[in-house]
Amino acid sequence: MNNKENLDKLIDEALNSVDSIKRAEARPYLLTRIYARMDKGTESVWEKAGWFISRPAVAFAGLCLILLINAVVIVLNNSSAQNPIVEQTAQTPTDEFSYTVATIYDFENTQP
Amino acid sequence: MNQPELIAQLQQGDEQAFKKLVDEWQDMVYNTVLGIVQNADDADDITQEVFIQVFQSVSSFKGDSKLSTWLYRIAVSKALDHEKKKKRKKRFGFVHSLFGGQDEDEQIHSVEFEHPGVELEKKEKAAALFSALKQIPDNQRIAFTLHKLEGQTYQEVAEIMNTTLFAVESLMGRAKANLKKELGNYYNNLKER
Repeated sequence: MNNKENLDKLIDEALNSVDSIKRAEARPYLLTRIYARMDKGTESVWEKAGWFISRPAVAFAGLCLILLINAVVIVLNNSSAQNPIVEQTAQTPTDEFSYTVATIYDFENTQP
Repeated sequence: MNQPELIAQLQQGDEQAFKKLVDEWQDMVYNTVLGIVQNADDADDITQEVFIQVFQSVSSFKGDSKLSTWLYRIAVSKALDHEKKKKRKKRFGFVHSLFGGQDEDEQIHSVEFEHPGVELEKKEKAAALFSALKQIPDNQRIAFTLHKLEGQTYQEVAEIMNTTLFAVESLMGRAKANLKKELGNYYNNLKER
């Protein structure tokens, strides 16, 4: 019980520790630093792009995307190399429906 | 110079008016931000960002609220944005550590925060309170910071947070309950060590 009372007392004292707090003061020459930052803030588009790309999250996501594209290309190449028949069967219909088939005009003009 | 005049001059891009604004409100902005981010360097950076934002967007300020309310809102929003960025950075910290780097934020924030305005004999207890403050939800933390650190009334906190007086009372009640719980855990952990 005594321990609990002690704990409650500590908690209350901690909660009340900021009751008479004084306002923290900003560092000197704030205005000068604000103006300096405003001048510095005029970055070019390329600087902004460089900053964006160099962010760890963007760089990591970009790297993952490149690896994923590579993996997809490799998988697709492997599967097409293993199934050459697919390519052949795809060619067959174009042979059957060749443009060299005689037209109605040819049939109608068989005699001079 | 009254506030409407100051705002009008700021909207015309008057540098003297901007200087007056910074001189008058810099401590208020810095103290609010410091209470939220609990780091003097970060608070200094964010304070600069707040005034840059004010300079750039004062033309859109219609005077619906008090200038101080508007400044508080920008300060709170910038401080919370910074906290979110920091959390995101921590999530990707493991990638950085894979390449042998050390997480700078973790190094900085492993040290307990000491607010410069706290009385010397209360420093230790205030450090425990600030540590507990980091564990409670953002809106409760904002209400507590504005009321306790900035001395704003519940009504003023409600205006800054764009909510009702009843909601602020409820937020403060929950903030105190959560802080008691966190402080209890903090002191129990201290005993076990």
